[in-house]
Amino acid sequence: MTGWANYLVFIVATGGFYALLALSLNLIWGGAGMVNLGLAGFFALGAYASALLTVNAGAPILAGIAGALVVGAIGGYVVTMSTTRLRGDYLAIVTLGFAETIRLVANNEIWLTRGSDGISGIPGPLKAELGGWFNAAYALGTLAIVALVWFALRRIDLSPYGRALRAVREDEQVAQVAGKRILRFKIEAFAISAAIAALAGALYGHFNSYVAPDIFQPLITIYIFLAVAAGGVGRVSGAVAGAYLVIFFLESTRFAAAAIPGLAPVQHAAIREMLIGLALIVVLRWRPQGILPERIPPAPRPQSQEAT
Amino acid sequence: MKAISDTVPRPHVPQRSEPDALLAIRDVRRAFYGLDVLRGVDLDVRAGSITGLIGPNGAGKTTLFNVVSGLVPPDAGSIRFAGRELAGASPEAISNAGLVRTFQVARGFPRLSVFQHLMLYGREQPGESLAAALFGSAESRRREAELAERAWQIARLLNLERVIDHPAQALSGGQKKLLEIGRALMAEPQLVLLDEPTAGVNPTLKAEIAHHLRALPARGITVLLIEHDMKFIGALCDPVIVMAEGRVLAQGGFEAVRADARVREAYMGVRA
Amino acid sequence: MDAILQAAVNGLVAGAILALPAIGFTAMFAVLRFPNFAVAAFATLGAYGGWMANAWLGWPVVAALLAAFVLAGAAGAVTQRVALDALRPAGPLTVAIAAIAANVILENVLRFAFGNDLLGFDLPLARDVRFGSLRIGPQQIENLILAVAVMAALFAFLAFTRIGKAMRATADNPDLARLKGIEPRRVELLAVFVGAGLCGAGGMLLGLDTSIDPLTGFRIVLSVFAAAVVGGLGSIPGAVAGALLIGLAEELATLAIAPTYKSAIGFVAILLTLSLRPRGLLGERAY
Repeated sequence: MTGWANYLVFIVATGGFYALLALSLNLIWGGAGMVNLGLAGFFALGAYASALLTVNAGAPILAGIAGALVVGAIGGYVVTMSTTRLRGDYLAIVTLGFAETIRLVANNEIWLTRGSDGISGIPGPLKAELGGWFNAAYALGTLAIVALVWFALRRIDLSPYGRALRAVREDEQVAQVAGKRILRFKIEAFAISAAIAALAGALYGHFNSYVAPDIFQPLITIYIFLAVAAGGVGRVSGAVAGAYLVIFFLESTRFAAAAIPGLAPVQHAAIREMLIGLALIVVLRWRPQGILPERIPPAPRPQSQEAT
Repeated sequence: MKAISDTVPRPHVPQRSEPDALLAIRDVRRAFYGLDVLRGVDLDVRAGSITGLIGPNGAGKTTLFNVVSGLVPPDAGSIRFAGRELAGASPEAISNAGLVRTFQVARGFPRLSVFQHLMLYGREQPGESLAAALFGSAESRRREAELAERAWQIARLLNLERVIDHPAQALSGGQKKLLEIGRALMAEPQLVLLDEPTAGVNPTLKAEIAHHLRALPARGITVLLIEHDMKFIGALCDPVIVMAEGRVLAQGGFEAVRADARVREAYMGVRA
Repeated sequence: MDAILQAAVNGLVAGAILALPAIGFTAMFAVLRFPNFAVAAFATLGAYGGWMANAWLGWPVVAALLAAFVLAGAAGAVTQRVALDALRPAGPLTVAIAAIAANVILENVLRFAFGNDLLGFDLPLARDVRFGSLRIGPQQIENLILAVAVMAALFAFLAFTRIGKAMRATADNPDLARLKGIEPRRVELLAVFVGAGLCGAGGMLLGLDTSIDPLTGFRIVLSVFAAAVVGGLGSIPGAVAGALLIGLAEELATLAIAPTYKSAIGFVAILLTLSLRPRGLLGERAY
């Protein structure tokens, strides 16, 4: 394939991983009003879980991905367990710490993770059979998984479960007085969300065939917050749209920054990161509802309309 | 009816509960930062009554509601509801036991629609499980349809049909008050605690709210409400309980309470 | 035994320095009611501010520390006014997210200006002081004295000045403070200035005996949060106690585990505190 086609495939796949991360964040941020500032940590957790299962333990790829889902959900449970009774600020602090701790472990448990060298040779599904078409096929597969997760989350969103989650987001106390067991809702939602982030990580690893601690920069969490905020907090489709929007933004700033003459590469990178931070603040300030604002599903009209 | 002379003497001697009391509160105490807000509250709410709770600002009425609904645990005392002890139980357990409260400032879920509000207050929601959400369940669909029908009926009853898909934050003050009553109806509680159901609404709507509230006991819903409008209380509530300084000062018929010298001194004298 | 004593001494010095950003974080939280996650950038900015004053202008350490405080404090106040204030109606979590974005921006301003290279302060070399088998660097002693002096100045400010008292009153009860005629916006801005300034001073002290780079603040941010949470979010004496504990725990832990895991201690401390006593040592209720 030509360079441009390869580039496109790379964009589609990366956007798919980001879309999964954005769907993960949207479930808890838009759904239950919780934040996960350690999204990059759960992303890494899933990537390492699946890589270790397939490379070190020789498990099939599907088992690796399933393992990533389980490990992610457990991680989410551990993180929320200690904070769900407390104000949201505490969860924010704990998730930040979680991501850093994951990075520390990945960097230092060399016997397991090979430290900063990372794990290479992660198998990709049907890689030999597909040959040069592997990347394109994998990108399409990623899109299919994004669609599947999108479908499931939309179902949750429109169900009584999603309604109760939203009540928790709007006012925990009133939700409690309305008889909702808010702890259960918060823990479940966060665990599912963490599992989806881990899934994104696992898919990334099998695509890239290599994972290392430095790949999972905290900055990824900012990208995803920007994606969800720009797409529309609380809107499942918005998360996917926002993820591709962020990819577009990231790639265009790459070219734009490179076009400024007389700057060192580190300065290009600095400008891009500044623009990301700036974009997030601008969206939160001037377009908090995003490009696809949250919608209220209309009440189903009663079938037995009495004639008046 | 208890005569006014029977009200709490000091030092404190807990009252015997009335045989048909749905809610019996005994010697409930609560302090905040060393300040005694509830100093041994005793009161009964008779099943099928519309009981009014009045008293000057700072008497502890809203705190009492917070304690009874489980948002604030009591320091001491007993809260018996339909034969069960509720002191210290969680808000959701109390709500699920059939005791539902509303909030003073029309608190709620600003970005959820009227319909979603009503649906949320339906009891027994098999659809509120992950499995049902993801894979669907016949039971969940059946219950949703039932609740949806009730929600529509209540919306019609309260004239909220037109705004049923509007978010609560877009409603007028009066509509918010009606929605509060709608939530109570939807929950089918045995007892509903209403915190100032007519605060800030015009006289026409006030009459409409009174009309809706008057119909609740016939549906099996007992009402305990906090209110400052004496005309409203006089027309709707029997008995009336007067709180002052963290205690029950008097209870009885509206006229009898109004005639009580201590009540006049603590409350009505100031206002009238 | 000697190793334990040495680690304890190192831990106390590290804890005293850590106390400055921890106080800053907790004080901003107490007054503004949201966790200002830009503390990492404030600390780094202070480190660069102090370094510029020292290496470019040749200022002595105490004057450079003042420069660090003022630069970081000003950055905090400007961030608050320009980026964060307008978001407060949307809730504390939204403001906290915006603060992270602000952190990214500030950190990259420094990266743009100075690159990723390590920079060192211009200080005379000095030999370690020995007490028996204990070794203490003179820079450590100076840092300890400076950190304690900054804290003493802060406590005097809060205890004796009118505006300091107003800050405490606002932290205790904003409604009551408003009734007393305290203008909350002024107090808030001052709290951010002082809070971010303390982060800056801490950042510079951190860089004094090692070196600085754009991630100087980021590396300690978990310990800062841990100190504030262990002490009780919103409590200044709590932050001091928490910082000393975390400093000690981190240094003592290096006797048993790899030093690279030092910052994981903070995370474990946060989890333990929130599970067992969410209000921390000296804080108020956390839910």
